[in-house]
Amino acid sequence: MFGLDYSWLADPAYQQWLLTGVVNTLKLAALSSSAAILIGMLGALGLTLRIFWIDALIELFVEVFRNTPPLLQMLFAYFTLSSLGLRVTDPSTGLSVPLLSAFACAAISLSLFGGALAIEAFRSGIETMPRAIVDAARSLGYGRWARFWRIEAPIAARICLPGLTNILTNLFKTTSQASVITVPELMYYAGQIYNDTFRTLEVMILVLLIYVVLVSILTFAMARLEALMAFPGYGRGH
Amino acid sequence: MTGFKTMMGVSAVALAAFLAGSAAVAGTLENVKARGKLVVGVKNDYVPYGYLNDKGDVVGFEVSLAKYVAKELLGSEDKIELVPVVASNRIEFLTAGRIDVIFATLGVTADRAKVIDFTTEYVSAAGPSVLAAKEATISKWDELKGKSVCGIQGSYYNKKMTEEFGINLVAFKTQPEAYRALKDNRCIGFVFDDMTLQQKLKEPDWASYKIAVAPYEFQPMAGGLRKGDTEFHEAVDKAIGKAEAEGKLIAWETEFGMPHSDYIAARAKAASARKN
Repeated sequence: MFGLDYSWLADPAYQQWLLTGVVNTLKLAALSSSAAILIGMLGALGLTLRIFWIDALIELFVEVFRNTPPLLQMLFAYFTLSSLGLRVTDPSTGLSVPLLSAFACAAISLSLFGGALAIEAFRSGIETMPRAIVDAARSLGYGRWARFWRIEAPIAARICLPGLTNILTNLFKTTSQASVITVPELMYYAGQIYNDTFRTLEVMILVLLIYVVLVSILTFAMARLEALMAFPGYGRGH
Repeated sequence: MTGFKTMMGVSAVALAAFLAGSAAVAGTLENVKARGKLVVGVKNDYVPYGYLNDKGDVVGFEVSLAKYVAKELLGSEDKIELVPVVASNRIEFLTAGRIDVIFATLGVTADRAKVIDFTTEYVSAAGPSVLAAKEATISKWDELKGKSVCGIQGSYYNKKMTEEFGINLVAFKTQPEAYRALKDNRCIGFVFDDMTLQQKLKEPDWASYKIAVAPYEFQPMAGGLRKGDTEFHEAVDKAIGKAEAEGKLIAWETEFGMPHSDYIAARAKAASARKN
């Protein structure tokens, strides 16, 4: 159809590569998304404490990791950290090798990058919370922790879900940059397959479709979550 | 109308001349002699076969060979025009008549033999080899099974490395990244074009490294000629044979920093034996 040639897909080696690529992309996305949400929650929680030096540290973290390209962060983690001495001795060979594997470098960079964005998303959720609710909780005698966990966090989570969906879909797509530091994910193998077969267009179309399907599953799940968590008077609860 | 007819007539004559010209490919030798100049397609970006030196001149192993052939055919190595070609256009340049012969890292393959004729083979070009630290004990491809080896994304042999040798290939976008990763011990070796790695070993930074695993394949390289151009083909082959017999190719290996190959030495010996 349209002169496209997909005969290379019959090669078991290429099937295996695509499968391995998808699995590694999913692993990287799942790991960095979970870590990013955790970092986002901890950071936003830290900001509610209103302690000067904690605020300053969190803001510095956000500025550094939100304002630098994730590709550069990965390259830095992969090439520079090991040169700066982050190395261990491999017991089997006795050689001094970098502590962080390519996958670890990519997962850490993506987690920190996503985490910085998530802190801002959660913070906006907390800050846009109607004052009246906070005041009502206070007047009912809720302490600071109880107020955060039982009132502020659940409402903030609902408010910031659409923003979080954006961050997670972007994070998912950014995993493709890990191919530059040799993480064998989907784009890494896609490049090798079209270099072998010269079927650039066909490989690109297939990989595009795989990303559309995978990211659509994520956005669909997030939309379901939003609908389930909707509460009357806000967002989908209207 | 007369003008139109004249034009058609002229066009027809021109077309006939063109057709006659392309039919008469067998006459390249006469054309070259009449022109007083041999037009050769060479590389200008591929050390050591054809590249630009610091003065901006195109030099190299195959450029020297081309000049030698020009000298044999026309009496002077200056009666030559070097046309830079790349892998994707060199055969079109030849078949379209823009060059007389290709001396541009042309590997001998059955597919190409359908379209062009090859001169006598004069180089056996090595495939990939593995660069590793001097202390490395590996020396065979099979011993790399399950080991992390640096490479370059998109290399034609990457599939063979993973499929056949079971290597855990760590493939980078560019060469500097792969060299850096090898120095960082992210991989035990770097698999790449043998000729390029041999050149790298000459740099002082890489004195503690060696070619640990030799290439598993060699591909013969030859000049490319238009099909069925017998007279020219024989003349070019004779010139190459003479260069081999005189040990010129061995001298060019030295001149352009290539490791001396058994293949070229054996051919030189055979050629000089034929002559005597």
